[in-house]
Amino acid sequence: MNALTSQSDFLAETAAVRIAMAAPRSRFSLRLRENLAPFEAALGLSLGGPLGSRASAGERETLRLGPDEWMLHTSLADAGAVEAALSALYATQPHSLVNVSAREVSFVIDGPRAAELLTLGCPRDIAKIAPGSGRRTVFDGVTVILWRDAPDAFRIDCWNSFAPHILDLLKTGARELAAEAP
Amino acid sequence: MLLIHCPYCNETLPELEFAYAGEAHIARPQNPSEVSDEDWAEFLFMRANVKGLHYERWRHLHGCGRFFNAVRDTVSDKFVTTYPAGAPRPALDSLLETSAEGGK
Amino acid sequence: MSHYRVPGKGRVDLSRPVSFTFEGRAYTGGRGDTVASALLAHGVHLMGRSFKYHRPRGAVAAGSEEPNALIGTRRGPGRFEPNTRATVQEIYEGLQTNAQNKYPSLKFDIGAVNDAAYMLFSAGFYYKTFMWPRSFWDKVYEPFIRAAAGLGVSPTEEDPDLYASRNLHVDVLVVGAGPSGIAAAKAACAEGLSVVLVDENAEIGGTLLSEPQAVIDGAPAWDWIATELAALKAAGVKVMTRTTAIAYYHQNMIGLCEKLTDHLAQLPDDTPRERLWRVRAGQVVLAQGALEKPLVFHGNDRPGVMLAGAAQTYLNRYGVLVGKRPVVITSHDSAWFAAFDLADAGAKVQAIVDLREGVPETLLAQARARGIPVKLSHTATATKGRLRVKSLRVNPVSGGSVEAGEEISCDAVLMSGGWTPSLHLFSHTKGKLAWDEDRTTFLPDETPEDCVIAGASRGLWGIEAALNDGAEKGRAAAAALGKAGAANVYGVAQDRTGTGISMKELPTDLSAGKAKAFVDFQNDVTAKDLRLAVREGMRSIEHVKRYTTNGMATDQGKMSNINGLNIASDALGRKQPQVGLTTFRPPYTPTTFGAFAGYHRGHHFEVTRKTQIDAWAQEHGAAFEPVAQWRRAWYFPQSGESMDDAVRRECAATRASVGIFDASTLGKIEVVGPDAVEFMNRMYTNPWTKLGVGRCRYGLLCGDDGFIRDDGVIGRMGQDKFHVTTTTGGAARVLNMMEDYLQTEWPDLNVWLTSTTEEWSTIALNGPMAAKLLQPLTDVTLTEEAFPHMSCVECTVAGMPARLFRVSFTGEIGFEVNVPAPMGRKLWETLWEAGQPYGITPYGTETMHVLRAEKGYIIVGQDTDGTVTPYDAGMGWAVGKSKPDFVGKRGLARPDLVAEGRKQLVGLLTEDGSKLEEGAQIVFDAAQPVPMTMVGHVTSSYDVGTTGHPIALALVAGGHGRMGQTVYIPMPDRTIAAKITSTVFADPENSRLKIPADQGVAA
Ligand SMILES: [Zn+2]
Repeated sequence: MNALTSQSDFLAETAAVRIAMAAPRSRFSLRLRENLAPFEAALGLSLGGPLGSRASAGERETLRLGPDEWMLHTSLADAGAVEAALSALYATQPHSLVNVSAREVSFVIDGPRAAELLTLGCPRDIAKIAPGSGRRTVFDGVTVILWRDAPDAFRIDCWNSFAPHILDLLKTGARELAAEAP
Repeated sequence: MLLIHCPYCNETLPELEFAYAGEAHIARPQNPSEVSDEDWAEFLFMRANVKGLHYERWRHLHGCGRFFNAVRDTVSDKFVTTYPAGAPRPALDSLLETSAEGGK
Repeated sequence: MSHYRVPGKGRVDLSRPVSFTFEGRAYTGGRGDTVASALLAHGVHLMGRSFKYHRPRGAVAAGSEEPNALIGTRRGPGRFEPNTRATVQEIYEGLQTNAQNKYPSLKFDIGAVNDAAYMLFSAGFYYKTFMWPRSFWDKVYEPFIRAAAGLGVSPTEEDPDLYASRNLHVDVLVVGAGPSGIAAAKAACAEGLSVVLVDENAEIGGTLLSEPQAVIDGAPAWDWIATELAALKAAGVKVMTRTTAIAYYHQNMIGLCEKLTDHLAQLPDDTPRERLWRVRAGQVVLAQGALEKPLVFHGNDRPGVMLAGAAQTYLNRYGVLVGKRPVVITSHDSAWFAAFDLADAGAKVQAIVDLREGVPETLLAQARARGIPVKLSHTATATKGRLRVKSLRVNPVSGGSVEAGEEISCDAVLMSGGWTPSLHLFSHTKGKLAWDEDRTTFLPDETPEDCVIAGASRGLWGIEAALNDGAEKGRAAAAALGKAGAANVYGVAQDRTGTGISMKELPTDLSAGKAKAFVDFQNDVTAKDLRLAVREGMRSIEHVKRYTTNGMATDQGKMSNINGLNIASDALGRKQPQVGLTTFRPPYTPTTFGAFAGYHRGHHFEVTRKTQIDAWAQEHGAAFEPVAQWRRAWYFPQSGESMDDAVRRECAATRASVGIFDASTLGKIEVVGPDAVEFMNRMYTNPWTKLGVGRCRYGLLCGDDGFIRDDGVIGRMGQDKFHVTTTTGGAARVLNMMEDYLQTEWPDLNVWLTSTTEEWSTIALNGPMAAKLLQPLTDVTLTEEAFPHMSCVECTVAGMPARLFRVSFTGEIGFEVNVPAPMGRKLWETLWEAGQPYGITPYGTETMHVLRAEKGYIIVGQDTDGTVTPYDAGMGWAVGKSKPDFVGKRGLARPDLVAEGRKQLVGLLTEDGSKLEEGAQIVFDAAQPVPMTMVGHVTSSYDVGTTGHPIALALVAGGHGRMGQTVYIPMPDRTIAAKITSTVFADPENSRLKIPADQGVAA
């Protein structure tokens, strides 16, 4: 987990869950039409599969959010390489690659009751999001992207201005879950 | 609160992830300037408002983001089917059979 | 002390006494007691006064259906709750409770004068009394109704408790943990199905808690409960007690309210008081049992008169005798068993009075064996006793006539009018009910939900029947989910099956007008009221209900509905199904606002979006205003300044030198793709093809109806890339509208939209010194020639990657600097430092509004209202008339939109120099008679700007053709005359937009 977070300080840490802010990453919204192969070749990872599928290669990881939409995360250092690789494709494979690194932040949640914590704000069934996949969904009225990294480990991406609201409920829930009799 | 099947995500999900988007199969005329005032008013303002099976649009707003079409019974509030935007309007007869079988 | 506690009976732990107070007096009970059971153990029946007549009342039931024993509970500041049912509230050490509707005291109440004035308060009282004269409404009627309305007293302090909510997805939800619910949960938890079993009580068992004599498959009932509970938990069933299924919504969405702390003496940290569960279940088994009906006779509401089943529960579950000399009046076998249990516990049962001619011989034999006198074919006609019943008058009924009565001395009356299946949640599903003539009650029929109903709630009677039906329904629920559940077959010894008849009000020898035979205890509705309603023309049960308020109290008629229906149908001479049953609505039992609000209170009430610069604004004393979900700096008052002072100073400083403004909340959309320019041409009214890279343009967005939807400056960052800005409130709406057209009308276009609202922090610099301030911080040459008005470029500003726009919403030289959002505060502080020599002034949204109004720039949503076209707004120049199509083009040609006399945006200057009120209506002729013909309204109005006089914008019919004419604005105290002018009040030549040549300093 520490690999994903900027520090070992947790925003909340209880017997139920730990919540941390993820270290800054480069984030891109990638939009393109049917022909995935050239993009897969350029990025070095698979973009296919049903919505919610993820793929990764080195620092890069993608989550398929829509039929023509992916969220791409990579290291800060790799951002230029991603932009260069795709801009070379633009003339023949029109697409949209928009840097949204500054738009959002990620919270990292893990712990034995991490999945239950999400039920405080997510109306959908968390159990149906398989580890290793992800979804765009809603948490306490706010659009978020949920990455399930393991059965009890998640990341939540949200836009900057929604982060305090989301964190507030996550912290409340972390305390509430910890206070419950086992 | 309703459950809605998104034809793009292929998942049945809570209504809270979706936004209603009005009646379906009301195509914007290809050449609006050639449309009469009456037909343009019809396109802009007139809606079926049926009691029963209603063709309507939804958007999976907090999900894949896609607009899609649905047939919902406005009496029972049950969805009979959902299908991608641009797909033809399913025939009511076949829908009613599905409905009778308890299709969701 | 507890004279009525029976040693060896009940489940209350008396080993450690629990103290609580009622009406200031201390009482003790044990763990497991409710307030009602503990008070009854002390012989206290009087627990409250009734709503309308302030009649003394005691507990009539033992569960959540209780209509009478409503109390206020308190545990310290803010923790006061009115209308809590004493029969549900568990006692804990230190609990403080009070009765309601009493003044000055519970035992002597002045309001009981209403009881004597009974005739005044009969059915339709409110409708008949508060009619005339009209002038009485404000001063007399409304204060009276408000004072009389509502039960209990609303709390006045802020509630310090936490409330929570969760979503839960399960395969099978079983509502009610009596015998059928337990058996259903057991049968359903097969092959890995997730099962949740909920019950509103503190422990599971339901009716078994009141019938310990039953022996299930050889095990005494209470042992069986313990064994089954352990087995269910071992099988992974989530068992939730103190949890009420309050509502059943579409597609098996059930709301549960779980009470977590109301029974605890010490409140644990971080634990909510209540949690609302939003459960989505594959299958639901409703096993809510049945509720006992009272009998309707004169004086049936006196403290000490209660349901026979409740008395049985108080004895067997709580170890409390509700009376030592009870008398039973019944039309159902079940009350006989209550009598036997009380007799066996030492009570001297005065008589069992049954309305029926015949009852099973076994019951008669058991009564004889206990020496209990039996009176068949008898009715009850009255009770006596002031604060507690002391006698029951019973009369033989023979051939339909009521004969002379006798008074039976007693200290409690146990009544039973039979049982009503609990169909509340089933009704929430829009489930159909079927009238069962034999049982004189409604039973569940069809439901559109994936739901089955089990046990007594579908009219079955007896524990064995309930168990076996529950098991079968649980198995069926599993089978519906494709799993093979196993239905046990249960055998029960000492089961108490039985039957009864359903009554209207009991036959009496009293004159009809005198009888106070209560049907709805909580709303004080009598049988006479119901018959009066029918006589006065009410034909449907829905009308009878509203006219009399029967069933409209907080208990939703759990005990009164069928009795009310029987009486109304008798009065109407029609069968019950033709009269109809009123609709049950959520919640099943009263539920706190806290439970519904959950986490959404205080600072978490709703999302409050803040920009990266918000904290700086707060540190510098900004006042804020909400704009959509954002909070924005409104103005920056210095010490002693009013809002007007501050805005006047900010406006002047910006026009004099330079102002700095946080524009980060503006919506931003990145439009990318080979068809980007085509998309922009189709979406916006303006033409985009000829806009060069590095140039920006004010864009106007209409709907297909031709009305203005949004606006904003749009920059062409590349051949295939546009930086679109929207209004703050329109950001999400505009993106949604664009996606709609793109996905469903023009899916062939190769263009994609990405929200970048939060990618950028946007800081606006405006004023004659803006270029001078900014120039040292950027390598872009800020001259009129190199970077003219309406330019945009990707560059660096203060070492940060930036998108720099030269735009103005003030009429001054203006720049908008976009930097990656987290750098926003650093840029702001850098500009702030650099601006000190120029007296840089931070300004908020109010100054922004004033300065733009002076230039006649519109605010969409303030100067437009969804019925204003670009032409109405005087912005025909923004319409690309030669484009073949754009959203709104055809709409703008609609006959109504090209007609004469449309309301058009103009400026207004008042003749007396006063400020107009925004929203004020405008007329052409102030002398015309009222009601005047209104021809428009004021949309924007300010008197703190830099023009030296107040200015206003207004929509006026045919306004563009009325320049110089006078219109009138009638106000409550006077009529203001104003002259129609251009919307541009300041610098109409736009000379101030230009960077003077001597200012340009190349980087
Ligand atoms: Zn979807």
